[in-house]
Amino acid sequence: MTIAFSTHGLGKDYGDRPALVPLDLEVPLGQHVALVGHNGSGKTTLLRMAAGLLDPTAGEARIVGHKSGTREARQSLSWLSDTPTFYDDLSLWEHLEFVARVHGVEDWEPRAEHLLGALHLSDRRDDIPTTFSRGLRQKAAISLAMIRPFQLMLVDEPFVGLDQSGKEALLTLLDEAAAGGATLIVATHELAFVSRVQRLLALRDGELVYDGAPADVDVHALVLPS
Amino acid sequence: MAETDPAYRALRDLRRKRQLHRLGNIEWFDAAYRVYLLGFFGGGTILWISSSVKDGTVAASTSASFASHAPAVLGLIAAMALLAGLRGGSQGGPIALEAADVVHVMLAPVDRRRALLRPAVQRARGAVFAGATAGAIVGQLAGRRLPGSLLAWAAGGALYGGTVAAMWAGAALLAHTMRLPRWAATSAGLAVFCWQAAAITWHVPGPATTTGSLGLWGWRQHPIDLLPVAVGLIAVIVGLTQLSRISLEALARRSALVAQLRFAVTMQDLRTVILLRRQLNQESTRRHPWHRLGPTRTRTFTRSVWRRGWHGLLRFPATRIVRLAALAAGIGVLQAAAVRGTTPAVLGSALLAFVLGLEVFEPLSQEVDQPDYTDGLPVARGELMVRHLAAPSVALIPFAVIAAAAAVLAMGTTEAIIPAAILALPTLLGGAAGGVISIVRDAPDPFSSSNQQAFIPPEMAGFTTTLRLLWPIVISALGTCTVLIVRLAVRHGDSTIGAAVRGTVGSLLVAGLVAYWTKVRDPIRIRIRAFMDEGRAQTSAQRSRSSS
Repeated sequence: MTIAFSTHGLGKDYGDRPALVPLDLEVPLGQHVALVGHNGSGKTTLLRMAAGLLDPTAGEARIVGHKSGTREARQSLSWLSDTPTFYDDLSLWEHLEFVARVHGVEDWEPRAEHLLGALHLSDRRDDIPTTFSRGLRQKAAISLAMIRPFQLMLVDEPFVGLDQSGKEALLTLLDEAAAGGATLIVATHELAFVSRVQRLLALRDGELVYDGAPADVDVHALVLPS
Repeated sequence: MAETDPAYRALRDLRRKRQLHRLGNIEWFDAAYRVYLLGFFGGGTILWISSSVKDGTVAASTSASFASHAPAVLGLIAAMALLAGLRGGSQGGPIALEAADVVHVMLAPVDRRRALLRPAVQRARGAVFAGATAGAIVGQLAGRRLPGSLLAWAAGGALYGGTVAAMWAGAALLAHTMRLPRWAATSAGLAVFCWQAAAITWHVPGPATTTGSLGLWGWRQHPIDLLPVAVGLIAVIVGLTQLSRISLEALARRSALVAQLRFAVTMQDLRTVILLRRQLNQESTRRHPWHRLGPTRTRTFTRSVWRRGWHGLLRFPATRIVRLAALAAGIGVLQAAAVRGTTPAVLGSALLAFVLGLEVFEPLSQEVDQPDYTDGLPVARGELMVRHLAAPSVALIPFAVIAAAAAVLAMGTTEAIIPAAILALPTLLGGAAGGVISIVRDAPDPFSSSNQQAFIPPEMAGFTTTLRLLWPIVISALGTCTVLIVRLAVRHGDSTIGAAVRGTVGSLLVAGLVAYWTKVRDPIRIRIRAFMDEGRAQTSAQRSRSSS
């Protein structure tokens, strides 16, 4: 069994406040995981450390066997943040071109057109995404996260700002990625999404309080702060 | 040679495309006008300062004294640059990428060292150029009084300034790539700084004295002085080779803040600049105050604002208090220099006092930052703001003691003790008054229309912008220039204590007027606006009568 994502004693402190208590975790390739918890429970901290955007205080994270942040790890990982970030002088199409090419995708146009169509962004392809509304920026960020090949996708609060059609489009794209064999770890407050996944991880005050099938637990109780 | 790495090729193409976009978006007339303004005011300032330095070589004994002391003093500036570089590097400096670069480039499978090389080289090159320019300007000023040609002094100054900047950039790059903790960076930098300060005081060899000696190359050349040049360059080169070890966390935090910082600088929003600088230095207020105020039964408005001020002041972090102390000491030293004959030092002390004001009147700034709260209070805004001046003014007392002590030490005579003690607090208050103006002026103005400046011609817009930027500093200069009364008394052999008292009156007058302005600013603006509206109404009525 190939492990897509693993942590070994991975922890993070902000001064005297622990954001994530040292955590050991293994997620096999192809698994669809939801990460839930109250605000400040450590979800984003875990995902950002996995992506290499935060330096762990202890332990390490590995992406498909490679230490987080290494070139090989970055090759296998797609990161979809809750705060979409764009260049302010590139159109959406130019963003797609760059992100695809920097990940070594040469024949990127058909995939880009498919993504923009699915996200109802085709008529905005030549616009600058920094001028978009919150929801449209989220959709643009989704298209950038999906344009490149990946084995593991880390997704942080993907539904924020999305309208119903946007949510449905995102779920379809996530299903497509899962069908392609990718591992998905999605941090979310949308508890309805949990029923779609194979495995549920729940964090409370930086500690893993549940790791198992979503059907076996009352999810609402898990996300309450202590 | 064709690029074989497709990821790097994509990055190179992106940068080229963005450069073309940027060039296409430049408003050339606007850019030329800015260059013109910079040249006009920058050149004018340099000419003014240059003209205030008397021509004519100083006496041989003064030259000898300068040659003996200047390397250590200039070395202290280099030590400060090293400290700043180490601290900056431990907090993610010196590179600042765009936030989008952090996500789309640093998380992509590109060679990070190659991707970061260009921004890092640009940063180091920019710093060296700025350092060399500043060094050349100061060098030519020194050359007016000291032996040697102006050109040689400018070249020596440029060499010194460029080296100091290279040491800053190299130290920052090394501290970042070595992941030096902030405490270690600060300790190492402070150790060098204190050792160099000791070198000045006790005339012992200092770690940066050789670097300081470079600044005198316009006069005499010691080949050993080239060692720091090599050290600076090596530090930069080694730092550049280690770029793949950068911390993305620090880079991401810094990138987000630096983008906002640049925007705030462009908008001349000093308040935001200060707030972002604090965030950049990870300087947050203390969770536990230095002293917890006891409960009070008095519930008067004035007392409430007074307590709110102290609640904020007592949460100042140690770093900010140290910074305020350093500013106060700097003001004291510059005031002493002004008494000893260096008139431009008054401007330096005014600038420091202005920054001190922006820092110490933090409770007022917090009030200005929260206009919704302020507008929700059942009291006039001016009444509230003027009361916010009380607690910080009292908090200035210990810093006035530091300023007075520094001035006395710089004067080197016990005769300076009483005048310094008399003048210190009023000078800080008068100087900090410029900071108060800057804070109050940046408050949202409900009485001005948004299109007030829309029809101002570009020449006038530039002028008003410059005036807006400068006049708080002019107020600070007025509040601190009263030290010149003491200088006059020294020159004429009059009582320096009497002169200090007269200076105190002047500085307190400036502070008092600014406090009064803070209180009545809104009513005055309402009256002016009503007057102008009335005038406009009369003019349009006259026009309609004459047309009918």
